[in-house]
Amino acid sequence: MTSTVSTQLVRYTRARDTVGRTLLYIAIIAVTLVTIFPIYWMLVSTLQPNSYTLHYPPPFFPQEIRFAQFGELFAGHPVANWLKNSFLIALMSMLLCTALTVVGAYTLSSLRWRGRSAFGLFLLVTQMLPEVLVLIPLYIMYSRLDLLNQLPTLSVVDAAFALPICIWILKGVFDSVPPEVLDAALVDGCSELSTAWRIVLPLSTPGLVAVAVVAFFAGWNEYLYASILLGSTELMPASVGLTTLKGLSGVQVEQYMAAGMVFSILPVVFYLSMQRYIISGLTAGAVKG
Amino acid sequence: MARRGWWRFASRVVPFTMRDGMGAAAARGPLFMTKSGPISRMKQRRTHFLPYLLALPIILYETIFLVSPIAQGIYGSFTNIQLASNRPTIWVGLANYARMFADAEFWSSLRVTATFTVLVIVVALGAGLLTALLFNRPFRFRPLARALLMIPWAFPEVPVTMIFIWILNPQFGVVNVLARMIPGVTDNPQWLQVPELAMAWVVLIASWKAFPFYSLVILAALQSVSQELYDAAKVDGANTLQLFQNITLPGIATTLELLVVLASIFSFKQFSIVFLMTGGGPVGATETIVMRIYNAAFRFYDYSYAAAMGVAGFLISLTIAIIFITVQARRAREFA
Repeated sequence: MTSTVSTQLVRYTRARDTVGRTLLYIAIIAVTLVTIFPIYWMLVSTLQPNSYTLHYPPPFFPQEIRFAQFGELFAGHPVANWLKNSFLIALMSMLLCTALTVVGAYTLSSLRWRGRSAFGLFLLVTQMLPEVLVLIPLYIMYSRLDLLNQLPTLSVVDAAFALPICIWILKGVFDSVPPEVLDAALVDGCSELSTAWRIVLPLSTPGLVAVAVVAFFAGWNEYLYASILLGSTELMPASVGLTTLKGLSGVQVEQYMAAGMVFSILPVVFYLSMQRYIISGLTAGAVKG
Repeated sequence: MARRGWWRFASRVVPFTMRDGMGAAAARGPLFMTKSGPISRMKQRRTHFLPYLLALPIILYETIFLVSPIAQGIYGSFTNIQLASNRPTIWVGLANYARMFADAEFWSSLRVTATFTVLVIVVALGAGLLTALLFNRPFRFRPLARALLMIPWAFPEVPVTMIFIWILNPQFGVVNVLARMIPGVTDNPQWLQVPELAMAWVVLIASWKAFPFYSLVILAALQSVSQELYDAAKVDGANTLQLFQNITLPGIATTLELLVVLASIFSFKQFSIVFLMTGGGPVGATETIVMRIYNAAFRFYDYSYAAAMGVAGFLISLTIAIIFITVQARRAREFA
């Protein structure tokens, strides 16, 4: 008697579990599909000849795949030059920001000094300022000093905005170096700076890579400052260039979308691989993703 | 352990937090502060100027490019800035502010900012919480699904707006196909020309881009909620809703609180998506304060007035930053 009851109970629980799991999978698939649909649509619009996309209603699945639009895009528009400018801005911003980040994270993580918390707060607040507020006075200052239309003067600003989050990222990484290791180095006669240089820094390589990624793509992705501080078309980076494509006649949809894909592929790959660090930096170390 | 670094920092900001958690921090022992051990004390004395020397270039750098422009902006808001000519700037006192307080469009942009911010917080955090709860359960292909979910967050803003401008194209946009499935919709709506629709889309796009980040942070919080609590409650016969209300929600409450503040900072700052999707239009329906400042300065070359509104924006973001710091410190105290 008792055994049948428990068998029934087991059967009932199992059935409920199966229903629950099915619902869970349906929900997960639905959420994932909705989330990536815009990206999927960009891909479809890139790869499919526009005779299909410029048709209502457009087909949901690509009917034909071609790759010639990438060549047409680079041949018809100065995309290569835009990407080169973006790369230069991002590279300068990365070098400057990474160098300063190592120093800043070290002072914030390893050294004890009065004013350390004030320094941390200062960085936190600068990270939260809207870019527009800084833009107007900076634009006035740059135009008076004749610093507009130069790639380096743009990348130093990009680096200034990326610096706080980069310091937070690397500080978290430095914090996680076991103190025993540092003690051992000190006992062996290492000075603080050489401990930092020879032990903390090599142990923090992934964090350094994350910082470099954030600083690089801060410059690569940045739109607002680039659109205001660089006026000449010669110096136009890709983020600004892409927005001009829409207004040009003769730009086909698939070229427009292809340009977006070419621009996004690097940041997406690098951000996804470094997401854990970036999230810890964005929350000022409160969360390790 | 993960929160230790922040805790050390927060405890200086809010000295009260220092008292009860002292042992926890001392357990690992900040290397250069260890009270025992003659080596550390000696080292500390020898290098006490070093931190200042190292922090100085960073403070200078941030001051030149972020702080001094803000200060100049505050000064400029009291003057009449003449950019093109060499005429000297004229001190106009509070004239720009008087104009700002009398300007209906300024108040309207504050309302738009509040609406936008609140909606993004609700939508993005709601979606983040929902997906985090779903993805907290074990299932096959979870790493793949999580990676796919993070893609919008990793996408740069400019291409995101390109995608959505295309998706929302009134003639060929794919969203029309979906909209026409709703009974009663027979025409393709002018998605970005109707004020309410434009606002809804700007909110949706900003939330779509932001929610994976919130989702991941909430997921991390969910995984730190003790499984034993769930087991105990299940033995006591709690149902799923009760489990959520009494264990999950309190367990992630501080994280949610932190994210609400963080989300309000991010959406208050939001510029590129709004600018490239609507430019603040139609008729100012999506003109947030940040957009309004930009338009005043770079469309109407009204720098002084833009500077005055910039001061208002600065005060608001400073307020949110202070709330963030307070919440952070309290959260850190709870985890210490």
